[in-house]
Amino acid sequence: MSMSRADVTAALESALSEVLDRKVTGLTGETRLFDDLHLDSTTMLETLMHLEDSLGLEVDPEELEADDFETVDTFTDFALAQLAGERAA
Amino acid sequence: MTAPRLLHSLLDEAAEATPGRTALETATDSVTYGALATASRNAAHLLRTAGVRRGDRVVISSPDAITVTVAVHAASRAGAMFSVLHEQVRERPLEHVLTDCEPAVLVTDDPGVSATATAHGVRVLGSREVREAPGPREGAGPSLPAPLAVDAVCLIYTSGTTSLPKAVVCTHQQMLFAVHAIQDRLAYRADDVVYSPLPLSFDYGLYQVFLTFLAGARLRAGSVAETGPPLLRSLETSGATVLASVPSVSDRLAWLVRRARNRPRLRLLTNTGAALADTTIATLREAMPTLSVQLMYGLTECKRATIMPPDGDLRRPGSSGTALPGTEVFTIGDDGARLGPGEIGQFVVRGPHVMAGYWRRPELTAERFHLREGLFPELRTGDYGRLDEDGYLYFSGRRDDLYKERGFRVSATEVEAAARRVEGVASAAVLPPGPENGGTAVLAVVGDLAPSEVLDRMRGLIEEYKIPRRCVPVPELPVNTNGKTDRRALTALIHDAAHS
Repeated sequence: MSMSRADVTAALESALSEVLDRKVTGLTGETRLFDDLHLDSTTMLETLMHLEDSLGLEVDPEELEADDFETVDTFTDFALAQLAGERAA
Repeated sequence: MTAPRLLHSLLDEAAEATPGRTALETATDSVTYGALATASRNAAHLLRTAGVRRGDRVVISSPDAITVTVAVHAASRAGAMFSVLHEQVRERPLEHVLTDCEPAVLVTDDPGVSATATAHGVRVLGSREVREAPGPREGAGPSLPAPLAVDAVCLIYTSGTTSLPKAVVCTHQQMLFAVHAIQDRLAYRADDVVYSPLPLSFDYGLYQVFLTFLAGARLRAGSVAETGPPLLRSLETSGATVLASVPSVSDRLAWLVRRARNRPRLRLLTNTGAALADTTIATLREAMPTLSVQLMYGLTECKRATIMPPDGDLRRPGSSGTALPGTEVFTIGDDGARLGPGEIGQFVVRGPHVMAGYWRRPELTAERFHLREGLFPELRTGDYGRLDEDGYLYFSGRRDDLYKERGFRVSATEVEAAARRVEGVASAAVLPPGPENGGTAVLAVVGDLAPSEVLDRMRGLIEEYKIPRRCVPVPELPVNTNGKTDRRALTALIHDAAHS
């Protein structure tokens, strides 16, 4: 079963709620992870670690780029590409 | 007689020796030593034109490391004092700074910061104006003043035991001494790429600029976005050889590097801010066998007190090194008398790196920057611990980290270190006894173990009486902008969990 954008957004909301210890809902594609949600470099990595568990994703630390973590949209593109890559591999 | 060396002399000397070499770069921009020297000289004239006089304050709030560096050196040349603020200092905290130091100019592109400054009658300059200031016309306008080495050049706002942040005042010669003494120990090389994930508002971040310039090396300033998950890649693509780190950054790097196929070419990692977990150091060493680690201890009031020799922690675990060359560190008892090796007391620092005092806080200055015999400055740090026979410092806690439980004096730092040594505990923090936690100390841990198991396994690692009775698992330890545990947020986190 393939993952949709909505699935990734839901997983992201749940990961952010855990990491930031407050309910995070209503993310849109344009929501900026650092500026709007006030993530910092520590909480961003923790969010990613949560998502690895919930999405069954394993990121390659050498392929992570700052641009991927700019907005909900760029992150979703990144997560979907990673998931597609894992299935192909 | 030659002109005195001033803070901007570090830049000018490097610009004269290697004008075409890259001094500073970010993800999207870079500047050479020659261009930086020229830009800051032009910006100094702009500050003069904007009304900045010798002794005036210039506040800087910008996410762009190049803008900050130009403005810092421009202020130094103009005989002014600069203060670099974290971009999150806005509204009330920003108003406090503006009221406290009454700057003549504030450099920012942020509309909110700009509006607050304007409301306080402070002239605002944008980053473009500062970075691209035209050179002064031949023979036009006032010439730049000639500051003295004993003039103040920098205000660094720190929070402490007082409720509002206070500024540590630093002169040219105090900062220059600190930079030279630190470089004597760290030995940055001209071919180094120094990667700094720390904001320039954080004093160790700011000093990376001066240390890099003294070595004639290249500084790579990492943004918040680059130093999260992409940290490893950012280190690789920048060719970083030195990482100026704090525990939260080192912990991230350890997690990333465990998975990596290629290892970054780091030769040196320095740590400040708080103790680095043994497990983190071990992971980094295993992944990067050529990496040296240098642990340090210091505080803004003297910048840096002690530094470990490279990998000295392997021989003397738990120590933060010896006093900088030309300085001393010793301990005193509650009566102010000097203590001997092994005796726990308050650390006192003496040397040319002890800064001038707190801006407009005479009482606090007299207390911390104590004058022995009414004459000789010594910094009473408020930090506690001991020195061994060879002068190696062992930090045991801040005065406010020390608490009494069951009649015993306990250091939260020490309890946290013991908890981190338990296998399965990723990180730990102690909340000292207080009304919020029922009068007993609470240990908060991140990890997979059951709380009772953590407490059980701490037995043997530390005296029984130092082990808190209550242990609470938390998903993460909240940290403040300096990478230290935010105890207030942690109290709220534990309190909310217990009542939801």
